[in-house]
This record gives sequence, structure tokens and C-alpha cells, in this order.
Amino acid sequence: MLETFNSLMMGFAVAFEPKVFMYAVAGCIIGTLVGMMPGLGPLAGISLLLPATFGLNPIIAIVLLSGVYYGAMYGGSTTSILMRIPGEAASVMTCVDGYAMTQNGRAGPALAIAAIGSFFAGTVGVIGLMLMAPTLASFALRFGPPEYTALLLMGLFVLAYMSGGSMLKTLAMAFFGLLLGMIGIDVMTGYTRFSFGLVELGDGVGIVPVAVGLFGISEILMTAGQAEPPKVQKPKLRELIPSREEFRLSVGPIIRGSLLGFAIGIIPGSAHVISSFVSYGVERRLSKHPERFGKGAIEGVAGPESANNSAATGAFVPMLALGIPTGPVTAVMIAAIMVHGILPGPMLIEQQPELFWGFVASMYVGNMVLLILNLPMVGLFVNLLRIPYAYLYPCILAFCILGCYSVSNSVTDVWIMLGMGAIGYGLRKFGFDLAPVALGLVLGPMLELSLRQSLAMSGGTYAIFLERPIAVTMFGLALLLLALALKPVLFKSRDWRADVGLDDKTDGAPPGK
Amino acid sequence: MKTFTSVLRSAVLAALVLSPALAAAQNYPSKPLRMVVPFAPGGPNDILGRLIGQKLTEAWGQPVVVDNRGGAGGTVGLEAASRMPGDGYTVAMGGTSNLALAPSLYAKLAYDSVKDFTPVINVAVVPYALAVNPTVPAKNVKELIAVASRKAGYLSYGSSGVGSMSSLAAEMLKSMSKTDIVHVPYKGTAPALTDVVSGQIDMMLADLALIKRHADTGRLRMIGVTGLKRSAAAADVPTIAESGLPGYELSPWFGVVAPAGVPKDIVGRLNGTIAASLKSQDVIQRLGGLGYEPLGGSAEQFAATIKSDIAKYAKIVKTAGIKSEL
Repeated sequence: MLETFNSLMMGFAVAFEPKVFMYAVAGCIIGTLVGMMPGLGPLAGISLLLPATFGLNPIIAIVLLSGVYYGAMYGGSTTSILMRIPGEAASVMTCVDGYAMTQNGRAGPALAIAAIGSFFAGTVGVIGLMLMAPTLASFALRFGPPEYTALLLMGLFVLAYMSGGSMLKTLAMAFFGLLLGMIGIDVMTGYTRFSFGLVELGDGVGIVPVAVGLFGISEILMTAGQAEPPKVQKPKLRELIPSREEFRLSVGPIIRGSLLGFAIGIIPGSAHVISSFVSYGVERRLSKHPERFGKGAIEGVAGPESANNSAATGAFVPMLALGIPTGPVTAVMIAAIMVHGILPGPMLIEQQPELFWGFVASMYVGNMVLLILNLPMVGLFVNLLRIPYAYLYPCILAFCILGCYSVSNSVTDVWIMLGMGAIGYGLRKFGFDLAPVALGLVLGPMLELSLRQSLAMSGGTYAIFLERPIAVTMFGLALLLLALALKPVLFKSRDWRADVGLDDKTDGAPPGK
Repeated sequence: MKTFTSVLRSAVLAALVLSPALAAAQNYPSKPLRMVVPFAPGGPNDILGRLIGQKLTEAWGQPVVVDNRGGAGGTVGLEAASRMPGDGYTVAMGGTSNLALAPSLYAKLAYDSVKDFTPVINVAVVPYALAVNPTVPAKNVKELIAVASRKAGYLSYGSSGVGSMSSLAAEMLKSMSKTDIVHVPYKGTAPALTDVVSGQIDMMLADLALIKRHADTGRLRMIGVTGLKRSAAAADVPTIAESGLPGYELSPWFGVVAPAGVPKDIVGRLNGTIAASLKSQDVIQRLGGLGYEPLGGSAEQFAATIKSDIAKYAKIVKTAGIKSEL
């Protein structure tokens, strides 16, 4: 324990070296700017910057990249809240209530709570990482395809709590998302499905173009379709600070989101993207006023934002402790230090203590820098809303196209984004909620792959799911979730849905209409 | 006088017409180069592409812009490269998978590995190794075959996807040893290797460098390398051929190609500069860190390797019965 503390102090000494600290700050600033580009999220941010780090020393390289990573996550929530444009899958949920808050004139509090929640979650993540990395990592290794299947199934049942409209519409949209997830090469057999002969569709439909199209582009189209231009907001300084009530409501979601996110984050694989969806579902389920969700509930921003930040930190546990990348982001990070001939893994802590602890400390420093940097900037960001829509929206559209293209230099992605924008516009006109599409698209391919991997392992028998304790426990939880969701349907008891009204036509409508 | 002017005029004209070809070779390179990397940044292909790009920049003073175009196992990027002008200002970092294996794997491949590219140089060989989870009771390939023969589907192997080099290497092992091992494909090498380490699946063939990290800490047991000779990076590990499966050999490589039609002297300059850089100490060290062995050689040798490997992999794909309709 004392040893850990001493090592961490050494780490802070490294992180606060002027040169290293400068790069941490630079990373956070670059990351925030990249994240604010519509469609560009953390992965795109660090992939674009990776080549620039090859000439730096490995500690600085990883400090810079983790700064960019956290910065981009924060920047992504800024655009989600202000413009309904998610930078990545994890901030889709933030779009829903965050943007609704903006329309209610509460953009400042939403941004501030997102920053505070992220900071708290980052702290929880770093402490967890520091104290429990070796233990957690070996536990995480017990997660094989069957456990993964159970976890993802749980994620799917969260759907029931995700949307305020009719259950039928929610399920229809989730189904649409799952169908989109079918596109591409079937990993088990190598055959392509629904690719219409386009090589670019071979790897499937990316979540970023779909999310930006469905949420961002459709919003621009909706606004353009109104008879009168929406009023430009003039936020006052007083309105930037969250009210006491908003703080009170956010405490629980932030704590729960942080713990939940960290737990999901340490599991190897890409499951951490579902942490924000799960957190949103949990908060809605626990809330006394679930009908407020979707119309600017601060809990709907606080929970998912915290969850996605601590999941990001949790994802570093298997990477640092075992040298196993947990997802694309950590894979790029590993590449960044491997270029310098350093192999991450169990030996890293002993062989490169400055790198390991410097990295841990700099993650914390990065979180702090972001908070200090971003709280005063909230006012500046909110002022973006003062720009008349006639100028703002064409610029956003241009940036969406630019951002979407630069992720993988693919024009196909741009077309997918624009097509999804049109589909999203149509669906919203009919009162469909779009968040389930994103969840379906994220979950579908992962669920299918892990289910079929499990069955390949067991030679086709489903008994494999009952033989493994972790999987059984999670299936139990998933069934419980399902039962809770079905209860009002089966017993015709008064559900919160009754208070919401089946056809939620207010979705997407501007304030004051 | 008039005749002289016209002669002069036509001479100037001729020079102007002919000069691009001539000047192109003499002044080459007079503008930045583009290095197409058909994978996302951060992977071995990308690291190699950037390393070569950096060396070309150091030698010629012209920037080399790396253009990452990932997708469909590296075939999307190569297809894009094949459509760019063959003037020597575009090169691409190809490999066994997208140059030699893809033609027999993908029925609708949009390029011809031989006709659409000018081979430049074979850069490095990527040694593959066979690893099992330590709980598998096999210390060498012979014992592994014995264990696998007990019952069909007794063992499982992980791969980075159907039709990837890692699945091909395992299918080759299966068909040569007449065993039935269950294939569990993953999306990428890393998640598959994670599950071999944790014992969800039993074995895998992958980059030696990746496996070595886990073998050094006892999380995996490395029982053979795929090359014709033992690898310098793990000299105590026998080849699969000597460890119980004679005739087994697989040596995936990475190499630089350019679009078809690059003038011969430009190919020569590219080849010479890259070949020289492959002999420099820092490149050898960087490649060694990744577990790669530098190759080099002439453009003609590389062309021959591509051709012979296309035939070789066509045979393996046919015997193992792998196909894709992409």
C-alpha cells in the first residue's frame, strides 16, 4: 500500500515535470478541439495524432495521447449537448437529455455537470486502476464469449428503459439498429451480408456516421423545415451555473455511473461503449420522475457522462496489467509505446516504473486540467448558440462531412451519414425515438459474434451458458431486468409510460412551440 | 534562316514533349510522395509504412504523406492505390494477405496483384508462431497433433477472422495433420489472443512478437514457428516442420508496391534507397522490436515472390476449402 503510494508520488513527479505537464495540457486542448469536431471522437483523435508522437519520448507520447483521449471525450459531450451531434457511440445518450436541456436554456448547467461528473468518474477510475489493477485484470480474463453474450444481452434489455415513447416504436427502432448491424462480412463464415457489392460495406456500417446522421443531420433538417427560424439563445451568466436542485439530482447518477462504468470498462472487448446506455437506463429506472427523461433531465447527462469516463479509465486496467488491448483506443495506445520498443504487459510496472506511474498520474492530471480548462470555457462554448442558425447550421453540416470523412478517409461514410440524416428526419417526423437505433447497431454485431463464438466453443450446445458461474449470474440479472420491464405490460398496471403519452410528438420541437 | 527557326522550334517542341518522361526520372522526386497504408494507424503495416516513409524523406528531402485507407483485410486500400497514377509518387505497403492470398480468397477482388502493380521491394518477413494455452497437454507439435486426434473438435483455435493469415495458417496445419480443430474467429488478433491466454480457446497461430510477450511470462506456450528456419527472436523454439509436421512452411511478408507502369529507373531508385535503409542500424533495431526480419532484394525478386506465393496460397485455400464471396 505504502509502496503503491510512493510509486504514485514518483508518478506525479514525472507528470508535473514542466515538459511533460506542458504536453498533458496541450493534449487536453487538442483533444477538446478534435472532440468538438462533429463525428470526430477519441479514437479518431488519437489515431490522427499517433504519427506525430513517434518522434517524442515514450512517456511524453502516452501522456499526450491520453490527454487527447480525455479531451476528445469531453469535447464530444460538448457538441452532443449544444448541437445534438455525438462524436462517438458513448455520447449518444448525452445527446438526448443534454440537447433537450440546451433547448430549455440550461446548456451551461448541462456542460458544467458533464465536466464535474467526468472529473469525479476519472478520479474513481484512476484510484481503482491504481489499487486494483492486478487483481481486476486476472478477474477480467475470466470473461470469455459466453460471459460476453450474457453481458450484452443485459445491455439489450436496458432498451426497455431507454425511450419515453411507445414500447412498440422503441422495439421497432432497436430492430432497425440490429438490422443495420447485420451489414458486412459475417465473421464466422467470411460471407458478406447486405453489402450490395460495395467493398466499403464489407466491414459493416460504422456507428459514427450513423449516429451523426441520425442525431445531428436530422436536427439540422428539422430546424430548416420549420416555418419560423428558431430564436437565437442569449444565455446569461447566471444561467451557466447549475442550480442547487440540479446538483442534488446529479450526485447519485454521478456516483452510480462512475462505479458502473469502471466495472464494465475493465472487461476486455468493446463493451465499454454500452456503459453510457446502461447508466441511462439505470437512472431512468431509479428516478421518481422517469417522464422527465428525454426532456432535459440532468440525471440523463450526469450518469452516462460519468459512466463513459470511468469506463475509459477502466479500459486501461487490462492494457497496463496484462498488455491486452481492450478496444481500438487502447490498441492505438499500445502501438504508440510499442513503436519505441516498449512492450506493455505485466513486466511494464517493474521494467518501466516511470512510464507506468507517470501515465497513471498524468491521467489524473489530465482530468484536472480538463476540469480547470473547461469550467471557465463553458461560457465561451455556450456563446456558440448566439450565432444565428442561418450561419451556424451550414457550418456544422460542413464540419460533419469533414469530420466523418477524416475518420477513415472514406466517401462511403459520408454518404451513409447523409442517408441516415434523411432517414432520421423521416422517423422523427413520425415520432420515433432514435437512441435505440444506436444501441441496436452497437450491440448487434458484438452480441451475434460472442453468441456464435460460444456455440462454436461448445460444439453447438447451449449448455455452455449454464456451466459458467459468471454467465449464469448475469443471465439471471438479465431475466430480472426483462421481468421488471414486462411487469406493467402483463399486469396492466400503471406504468410511468402512461404519464408520458404514447405518441411523444414534442420530440425535436424547438422550445416555446 | 527560316528553316533554322522551324528546326529550332520543332526541336524545342520535341524536347517539351519528351521532357516529362526524361525529366521525371532525372528530377525524381520533385514533389511529396504518398504512401498508402491499407490499414488503420497503429498496426504493424502502418508502423512499417511510416518507417519506410521516414527513411525516404531522410534520403530525398521530400515529405512522404502516409494515407491510411483501411477496410476489408487491406484490399480497400490496395484497390485505391492501384487506381492512382504510376508515376512513382504513389507507393503502397502491401503484404502477403492482400497481394498473394486475396486473389484466391475473394472472387470479386477489384485488382490484379500482378498486372495492376509495379513491385518495388520486399521489406520484411513476419515470423508466425504456434502457441497453446499452458493447460493444453502438448509440449511440441507432435504431441499437439496427438491430442487433437483424440476426438474431432477436442481442441479449438482462435483467429483474427475467416480468411486471415492466422486462420489460413491453422487450416493448413489441420489439413496437413488430418486433425479436426474447431475454428473460433474473432475480429482482430488481439481479442483472439486474449482468449487463448485466458484459456477460453486452446491455441492460435499469430505474429511471433505478439505471442512471445505472453510466452515470456508463462501465459502461453510457444511450440513452433512457421518459417523454414528458426527465428532469431526465439532461437530455442523449433520450426513446426521439425517439431512434428514435416513440410509445413508459412512466411508472411510485407512489401512496397506502386501502381502499374512506373518507369524502370524510378523503381530502381525507390528500391535502392529502401534497400539501403533496411541495412541501417536503427531500422534493423525497430524491425527487431516488432519481431520482423528485414528482407530487401531486387524488384524482380519481389515480383517473383508475389507470383509464386499467389500460386502457393491458391493451393492452400483450395485444400482447406476456405472461401469468401467478397
